[in-house]
Amino acid sequence: MSTATAFTDTHVVIAPMLVALVTAILTLVTRRSGRTQRALSLLGGVAYLVAVARLGLAVLPDGVLVYQLSGWPAPFGITLVADALAAFMLGLAAVVSLAILVFSLSYVDDQGQRVSYHPLYHFMLTGVSGAFLTGDVFNLFVWFEVMLMPSYVFVVFYSGRRHTAAALQYTVLNLVGSALMLVAIGGLYATTGTLNMADIARRLAAPAEFGIDSGPVLGLAAVLFVVFALKAGIVPFQFWVPPAYRAAPAPVSAFLAGVTKKVGVYAIVRLYFTVFAAGTLEAGLGLPGLSGRSFLAFFGPVLFVMALASMVVGGVGAVSRDDLDDVFAYSSIGQVGFIVLPLAVVATVADPAIRVLGLVAALVYSLNHAVAKSLLFLVSGAVFEAVGTLKIPQLGGLTSRRPVLSGSFFVGALALVGIPPLSGFFGKLLVFDTGARAHAAGASLAWLALAGALVGAVFTIAYLSRAWSRAFWGEVSPAVDRAGRPVVLVAVVAALAALVVAIGVGFDPVYGAAEAAAEAALDREGYVEAVDPARFEPTDESSAHALGRLPGVAP
Amino acid sequence: MTQVLLAVVLGLLFALGTFLVLRTDVVRVVWGVTLMSQAANVYLVTMGGLTGGAPVLEGGHGGETGAVTDPLVQALVLTAIVIGFGTTAFALVLTYRVHEEHGTIDLGEVRAE
Amino acid sequence: MSGGSLDREPTVIARTVTRLVVPVILVTAVALLLQGHNLPGGGFIAGVLTTTAFALIYIIYGLDYLETELLHRRPTVPFGTGTGIVREYGNVFAAGLAVAGGGGLAAVALGFPFLTQGVAFFEGVPVYHEFEIASAVVFDLGVYAVVVGALLTILAVVGAE
Repeated sequence: MSTATAFTDTHVVIAPMLVALVTAILTLVTRRSGRTQRALSLLGGVAYLVAVARLGLAVLPDGVLVYQLSGWPAPFGITLVADALAAFMLGLAAVVSLAILVFSLSYVDDQGQRVSYHPLYHFMLTGVSGAFLTGDVFNLFVWFEVMLMPSYVFVVFYSGRRHTAAALQYTVLNLVGSALMLVAIGGLYATTGTLNMADIARRLAAPAEFGIDSGPVLGLAAVLFVVFALKAGIVPFQFWVPPAYRAAPAPVSAFLAGVTKKVGVYAIVRLYFTVFAAGTLEAGLGLPGLSGRSFLAFFGPVLFVMALASMVVGGVGAVSRDDLDDVFAYSSIGQVGFIVLPLAVVATVADPAIRVLGLVAALVYSLNHAVAKSLLFLVSGAVFEAVGTLKIPQLGGLTSRRPVLSGSFFVGALALVGIPPLSGFFGKLLVFDTGARAHAAGASLAWLALAGALVGAVFTIAYLSRAWSRAFWGEVSPAVDRAGRPVVLVAVVAALAALVVAIGVGFDPVYGAAEAAAEAALDREGYVEAVDPARFEPTDESSAHALGRLPGVAP
Repeated sequence: MTQVLLAVVLGLLFALGTFLVLRTDVVRVVWGVTLMSQAANVYLVTMGGLTGGAPVLEGGHGGETGAVTDPLVQALVLTAIVIGFGTTAFALVLTYRVHEEHGTIDLGEVRAE
Repeated sequence: MSGGSLDREPTVIARTVTRLVVPVILVTAVALLLQGHNLPGGGFIAGVLTTTAFALIYIIYGLDYLETELLHRRPTVPFGTGTGIVREYGNVFAAGLAVAGGGGLAAVALGFPFLTQGVAFFEGVPVYHEFEIASAVVFDLGVYAVVVGALLTILAVVGAE
């Protein structure tokens, strides 16, 4: 049994997931007593933040931490891998989820909170943490499901006409997505002979040695990509986004847009830039318009098209909507385009400096979008609580009646537009910088990236200034005149707005973390080495026998 | 021969599932999704194959392991079945709610609010 | 939900067969639960099997039978979430999750990775000769309770409507 500890660095790696899981169970057990349940839920949210912070501090000096569930060694057991990228995403999730949790304590009605809200919320967080931490493709599927199941229930939380229709669409789409993901995973296992991400990367790097035919692997990776694009809501897989975000309670929309979407983005970064990037095709792609031998040469143009389409579709949709939630939902489709665009550049250039810069841009923009978009969705929740409607024509004059709330919206909107010194400025700056440098380095599609980003930015300014001038400025409408005062909600929103400013002003450490995360994402050798899936390659008798002594195996 | 048969069956299952998902009747859609996830499970089982590496069953059980199948795909399928079971139950309850809220299970009418 | 023909009482044959079959199903379920850690079986399938036994009782004897005849108390009216037997099913679900999660955490408390399992063998036990106790049974038990609790909640609530 002593061998077990050798595979474990520390429990720090699994701590965030366990904290969320235990909180979910505790809030479920204590659902009879509302007060205890809420206290536990809040405590769990804070503990989650602490656990993530501790993990971040542990990852900082050590690089990659590996945890073997049940003590089974990789690639046989389930591996959890915490590197700078996972820690960055966990940090994003922890901060945003805590703010949303405090908001929902006051926003969601008593009955709803008691029955299911808190356990579901923490289960969703468990799924998110698991997805960030796992180093196993099938395990990723499991965590996706753990994350999705509560979100199905959340979309239908109010169980009205509109909500059931939206939930049905959302559920069916994601179930089809899950089936696709299973197919891709099964195929990956059949072609590569393993499901451990590090092991896949190691085997893809030497296809001949392991008898792998790269062609099918690329196809399966593309199937898997569809699933991740569906989760991230990238065009053409965006159509579920607006109805689902509109139907879910405002804090849940904030979570779905702020955190769940980023899980899709994370999966794309982790799998395609760390794992599948190892693969090369012997004969080249042989497809019209696509050249090059690496897997990324295929995904690069695809990402380009999807990013540009997302910006346009999201922008056009957001400009033409008359409901605040709708505007924000379409806006998050457009903003994901800004996250994917630098990824597309990274996939097409070879210069390592630009590659790191592009990933930094994607990660910083993810952080900015997570904070700013959840801020905006929470603003829409607070507006709904105060005024009772989200229809833009019925709003108006909120600036004079609810200055703090309006100010918070203004900060969030400016952050999305990218005005200094807010968090969004650096996000946008880095995206443009990536495009410009790639252009200077001679990348063929980089001018398109710059033009696309410009168009996307213009759309962002258009729909946000429209929402601002119609809903917040102008004549005080009768509905706004009767508005209530949701103090706690406004306080949370203001705190998030302050965070947006703080990230922008104190950008240095954020940039440092993002850079470490980007380097970790591109450092395939480090990742494979830390997990060390080759440890039990049967080179001699002794290594095969070592397995027999593991816990869980009958001697 | 078995491979061809399995491939045909899988193709039929996926085709039928896709066909049902595209119907307007909510119950059929749920059936279609269920059929697709079951097809994915069958597909997963067929993907098993032992390719080198250290055997998990070794030494114990009297030293003789005999013929073994790939245990990994079976574990995956069991997990996938459990998850599919939960989601199918949810989808059916949701169908019932849709019927309650809209008084119809025809998707064409559900959309038109 | 109920059409005209479904309102008829189930036949004597159906009632008698149910009486015979339900105990058999339950015993099989327990057997599957206990051998699940290294033979076909396990918490999930045992839970599903147990639920089929309950479903049979619900279908043949009606929704109130469990509470009036077996637990000797007044049936819950209205038959909704958060009251009466549905509430107890919810408790089973929560308890199961706690047991499964707690079983995994026990390993962490002892210094092993999450979900680490152990096994102990006892030789020379009468009748059994060799008897093994695996800690995985605890996890299986949790899964069993989760499945039973969740399925019976769905069955009871949806069945009542």
